[in-house]
Amino acid sequence: MKKFIINILIACAAISFTSCEGFLDTKPTDQVSSATAMLTLTDATNAVNGLYSDMKWYDYYGSYMPVLGELRADDLQTKDSGGGWVAVYTLDYNSEQSTYFDLWNKCYEVIMRANTILENWEAIPTSTSSDVAVKNDIKGQALATRALVYFDLARTYGYPFTSDNGASLGAVIITRTVSASESRQPRSTVAKTYEQVFSDLETALPLLSRSKNTGHMNYWSAKLLQARAYLYTAQWDKALTAAQEVITSSPYTLVSRANYLNYFSQEGGAETIFELLVRRTSHLDDDGGYDSWYYPLWHGPEINSTGRIIVTQSFINLLKNHTEDIRSQVIKDGSTSIIPDHRDWLGKFPGTNYVDAKMNNPLVMRLSEAYLIAAEAALHVNPSSAAGYINTLRRNRILNYTDVSSITLDDILTERRKEFVGEGHRFFDLMRTGNSVTRSGGFHWCTGEAVTITPTSKKVCLPISHSQRLIYPELQQNPGYTE
Amino acid sequence: MTKRLFLFLSSMLFIINTSLAQVNVSGTVTDASDGTGIPYATVMVKGTSIATMADVKGAYSLSKVPSNAILVFSSIGYQTIEIPVEGRSIVNAVMSQQAVGLDEVMVVAYGSVKKGSYSGSATMIKGDAIKDIPVMTFEQAITGAVPGVSIAQTSGQPGGLPEIRIRGFSSFNAGNDPLYVIDDIPATSGDLSSANIWSSTMNYLNPSDIETITILKDAAAASLYGSRAANGVILITTKKGQVGKIVSTFKASAGVSYFAYNNYPLANDQEAEMLHREAWTNYANDNPSSWTSYGSISAYVNAKVEQYYPAKKEGYQYVNWEDVLFRNAIAQNYEYSISGGGPLSKTYASVGYNEQQGVNVMENLKRISATINAEAQASKHIKVGGSFQFSSTNQKGNQDGAAKDNPFYLWKVILTSRWPYKDPDGNYWMGTYNGSYRNPVPNFDKQIATSKQGRTMLKGFVEAEILPELKVKTILSYDYTRIDDRFGWMMGHPNGTAYGNGYIGDRYRRVEKLVSSTTLNYDKIFLDKHHVSVMLGWEAEDDSQQYTNLSKSDFANYAMQSTYLAATLKEGGTYNDKSTLLSLISNLNYDFNNKYFVTGTFRRDGSSRLSPEKRWGNFWSVSGSWKLSNEEFMKGVKWADNLKLRASYGTSGTLPSDLYGYMSLFSYEIYGDGNAAYPSNLANYDLTWEKNYNWNVAVEYDFLKRFGIVAEYYERKTKDLLLDASVPTTTGFQTALRNVGSMQNKGVELSLRADIIKNKDISWDFNISWSKYTNKILEMSEKGESIVSRPHVWTAGYSFYQYYSRKYLGVDPETGSPLYAKGTLLEDGTYDMTPVNRKQASSMILKGMSAIPKGFGGFNTNFSYKDLSVSMAWSYKYGHYVWDNATDDIDTDGYSYRNNIGKGQLKRWTEPGDITNVPRRIADNAYGGYYDSSRFLKKGDYLRLKNLTVSYNISKLLKEKANARVYLAGVNLLTFSGLNFDPEVRDSGFYDFSMPAMRTITIGVEITLK
Repeated sequence: MKKFIINILIACAAISFTSCEGFLDTKPTDQVSSATAMLTLTDATNAVNGLYSDMKWYDYYGSYMPVLGELRADDLQTKDSGGGWVAVYTLDYNSEQSTYFDLWNKCYEVIMRANTILENWEAIPTSTSSDVAVKNDIKGQALATRALVYFDLARTYGYPFTSDNGASLGAVIITRTVSASESRQPRSTVAKTYEQVFSDLETALPLLSRSKNTGHMNYWSAKLLQARAYLYTAQWDKALTAAQEVITSSPYTLVSRANYLNYFSQEGGAETIFELLVRRTSHLDDDGGYDSWYYPLWHGPEINSTGRIIVTQSFINLLKNHTEDIRSQVIKDGSTSIIPDHRDWLGKFPGTNYVDAKMNNPLVMRLSEAYLIAAEAALHVNPSSAAGYINTLRRNRILNYTDVSSITLDDILTERRKEFVGEGHRFFDLMRTGNSVTRSGGFHWCTGEAVTITPTSKKVCLPISHSQRLIYPELQQNPGYTE
Repeated sequence: MTKRLFLFLSSMLFIINTSLAQVNVSGTVTDASDGTGIPYATVMVKGTSIATMADVKGAYSLSKVPSNAILVFSSIGYQTIEIPVEGRSIVNAVMSQQAVGLDEVMVVAYGSVKKGSYSGSATMIKGDAIKDIPVMTFEQAITGAVPGVSIAQTSGQPGGLPEIRIRGFSSFNAGNDPLYVIDDIPATSGDLSSANIWSSTMNYLNPSDIETITILKDAAAASLYGSRAANGVILITTKKGQVGKIVSTFKASAGVSYFAYNNYPLANDQEAEMLHREAWTNYANDNPSSWTSYGSISAYVNAKVEQYYPAKKEGYQYVNWEDVLFRNAIAQNYEYSISGGGPLSKTYASVGYNEQQGVNVMENLKRISATINAEAQASKHIKVGGSFQFSSTNQKGNQDGAAKDNPFYLWKVILTSRWPYKDPDGNYWMGTYNGSYRNPVPNFDKQIATSKQGRTMLKGFVEAEILPELKVKTILSYDYTRIDDRFGWMMGHPNGTAYGNGYIGDRYRRVEKLVSSTTLNYDKIFLDKHHVSVMLGWEAEDDSQQYTNLSKSDFANYAMQSTYLAATLKEGGTYNDKSTLLSLISNLNYDFNNKYFVTGTFRRDGSSRLSPEKRWGNFWSVSGSWKLSNEEFMKGVKWADNLKLRASYGTSGTLPSDLYGYMSLFSYEIYGDGNAAYPSNLANYDLTWEKNYNWNVAVEYDFLKRFGIVAEYYERKTKDLLLDASVPTTTGFQTALRNVGSMQNKGVELSLRADIIKNKDISWDFNISWSKYTNKILEMSEKGESIVSRPHVWTAGYSFYQYYSRKYLGVDPETGSPLYAKGTLLEDGTYDMTPVNRKQASSMILKGMSAIPKGFGGFNTNFSYKDLSVSMAWSYKYGHYVWDNATDDIDTDGYSYRNNIGKGQLKRWTEPGDITNVPRRIADNAYGGYYDSSRFLKKGDYLRLKNLTVSYNISKLLKEKANARVYLAGVNLLTFSGLNFDPEVRDSGFYDFSMPAMRTITIGVEITLK
């Protein structure tokens, strides 16, 4: 009996230890090991989608970019001191307390995803020539997206290029996947950051597809980005050439006056060159888009009045009563509301297909911008041709429009206000053209240093996060901010 | 001559009889202390299955007993004795009561030892000691009872997860919870629910089924559990029955619960209006442009106050919100258990129903539990046994914290006395004065947060005796937990509308733990003095989880909660997880003559959570003790009954909580109409265990036959801490799991036991314990690195719970402005303490302010006189600071003009020359209480009467047909503290509107039939 027991035990022990190898190997079921995640063209396409699915979130194009571009300027403001965007309007952000650090983190997350694609790209097998085109387009999209991100980092964290020829500090340039220790690089100048932008775009352009590709970058969005970057760096002739190419050769057309208001509810609209697709397909919380932790961004009618951003008196004066200009109708009247102090609000983004005002596809680039870039660049290169671009645009916006023969920079900046309100351009336009912005009068309630912002104000640049600097002190802070 | 022959022949016969024959033996078994018979004592012939039970007077008789046999006498509560028959026909036995204290058997890792021989640091509590305390889980009954162990509730809602810390804490990321071992097998523990409520998987265990709880604190005690033992181990054994006649017990109790403390006193209606007016007036005076359009300051102030704190309206019904949000909660408990056994088997079975309501109608915990434990001697050398434990708990609650769904938060912050309850038509008023908050009362039934857990534990074991000294035991255990969570908001609830017309998310989790454990035990005494015991074994553990979720929205009607017919699918999916562990365990004990004891343990663990190159780890310990009182030179010494020194040193570990943390992985989501893929973590193939090195020294001293002192000192150092270390975000990730840094805990534990009176009618004892520990982070991943984890900072040289924020310096008596220290680092390494305003102040390490107490512990006393007995237990903690996060809601110095106002705001500065700590009130105050600072830190010292039980034995009334007693018991009855909220806060010190603790008073009856 005893022997029998001992034998059983030995047998059990033997069985268990021989199977121990496999016993300790486990795998997750909701994630995939990187070794097998990027092997085919489909995998790479999914990875490229991973770039855009990251950018659509509130902490990049979903909310922060439009907010940083609008609330620090004179077209839009926050209604009162409640709500999360107040700190942008009042410039109350500093190195320790600022939710806008997420923008830096998000940008580098997108850059990491782009770098991952570029590193695994070479080895993907192709069999047909159309495969090769797809594979090249993937590389192009990764590079073009990376260029866009570096461009955004330069203009949000650095001073305008035109102020000091890009001498101020810009982004940390990372062009491959890095480990924690390798990532401790210092910031490069804004000039070097733009160099990276132009270099990525140059490599990308020949590879990108020239067809429309809703929700993705293509040749035309890269070209328009290039034009915009040339404009920001005052390279007027190159800006003009690039913008002209988009105007003449791209498959996009300016949306007409009749369709203007509906245009913003459409996905893949006539003049949309690059938008980010937002769907409410998963998750309880918002899926990105013009959203603020599921509160709507824009102040709206009673039901939506949790939105905080309203139109300034200055913008109302500019446009509201000019009914011949279709763009005046983006200002919705708040005076008939039963809620006291209900202000005029921006009704430009009614939600994709009018389903839900909180679900819009953020518009990153559209054709109108090409015209405005061309006009502004032409002012420096070939002034007499500048008016032509503005006229073409205005004919599609204003009823019974008569062409003008010449325009000034102020005209162009004003036109940009009317066209791009809510899309995040105004603040950057003012800063890069050396203008200050003053927010007083009307409904403005900001005080102190927030009233007037000059291109050299310290708050033009966002602060680098204090806790990031604690992690790696090589990361330099922007001037004027405490540690 | 004939006589001698007769004698010779009879003696021959006698001898022949005794050596070859059998004899009928009878006798009486009596108690040594008073000579009374021991009823139903077991009498067994050693080495055979011949056995019987004595009658109620202790008389027994056995037939056909071999004359050279040895009789074994045993009975519960008595020391077993063996008496050789030697051919006699009458064998009486006198049995001594089982000594408590040193000879008491204590359950420890993989076995049990006599307390006096144990070299490790462990404390045992008997289930009977806590049986009347009206709590749903045992953790709440032992707060303050074990030196070095701190227990707090994360929430006062029924079923909330307790936070248990044994000798401080040592991990940033891998968890600081101890390992739970139930009946020799590690068990699933922790909070596995996902319903927005805190829920413990240990809610399944009915405290009445517990026989003993042993808490293992040092390396010698815990190292046998190796890679999961760094935070200590809680060993629980459930009741197994006892030898003797069948005993059945019926117990019932019922009582009432309500908040234990007066939380957050608020300014009353007039005071609040006055404070609001003042804030607006001051704002108007400071900002003249603000009121110009209103004509005058008073018109402006009137308009603003009317907008945000409007006067009560005619016809509307206003209410004291506490009355409609909370109720007196009912606690009830019904149990029936039956236990018994014979010489060859014993069984315990129980069934119970417990229910504890919470103070809000949404909160409730119900439990049905059933247990059957049985073991039997299947043959001469083989013992088998098994247990089946089943429990079904149904927990309902609400989100804790500063949330719309938390009635406690709404009561204290949002619902002012000017907030109408009902409109003139008698309907609930559903307007709002504050963002999107609304009257919650009509929506209590539209808010769903439930966690139903069904747990089944099946265990079976076989123990075989190969040789008298060598035994082998195999245990197989299957621990199955099913968690059905549901949370959502139906239509009509403000959240339900935000997600569409109602939203319900169902999450199903199935957790299975399969454990197989085989041990070989060898125990022998050589040459009378050398006692050696060796244990060798192996164990395999397989944990798997399946997780399914399904969320839908857009329901037709709020009462229809079946998601089948909801229109919109929000989310649905399934995934599986698995984690495995393979181990080799061994243990060697040697003691010499009951004076010198040495123990060594060794365990080798292999885990699936680490890469193949790094997955095996070795854990060991060495300990020894010296029983000075057994030395020759100490015998006869009157001032020491027992004097023992012990010391231990050993290692243990902690596994990463992330099951696949070392791998490099891609995750997926949706983009547009297609899939998006992205790298989801920064891989680390070097990931390894957290390693804990502990040493412990202690003195145990008993004297005057009634006092006992235990003093312990320990140090535990943890290296290779697992940390989701912040990495530069230029990597594209914010954190990466790495082994970095090291931490140290040092501490002292003192406990004193006094048996003040101990005789037949009266007994009275008193116990007190005091513990203290210091915690210090020795190294982070990089020199000078600090990680901010609001409101703490982790940096070398400071503790894990070091507070980090702006330093509040008080109020400027001239202007009423709040002052903060500038907080920047000066060249000499100190902080710049120049008083500046909030915007100019930086966060700094608040030296001397930590959440770690200067001392904590408890004291209890038990008194009994004939049929009456009284016990009470107190717990205390002092020297620590807690972070009151409510400060930014109700002590905002005017920033918030919609919320309730804390009573402390009445002390605000009003005119130059005022000396106070509360600044001048001003609307939209950008410099005051809304912003983090050391003003949020408050001294957390408290003393609390944790439980009090008064019990009266009424057996005489029932004419001894049954044992019965009635009892009155209460929990959290008295609290002394300077805080304005319940002082039992988690170890981190951070408190943010979790439901406060409840005081419960119950009355009960227990009837035992024999």
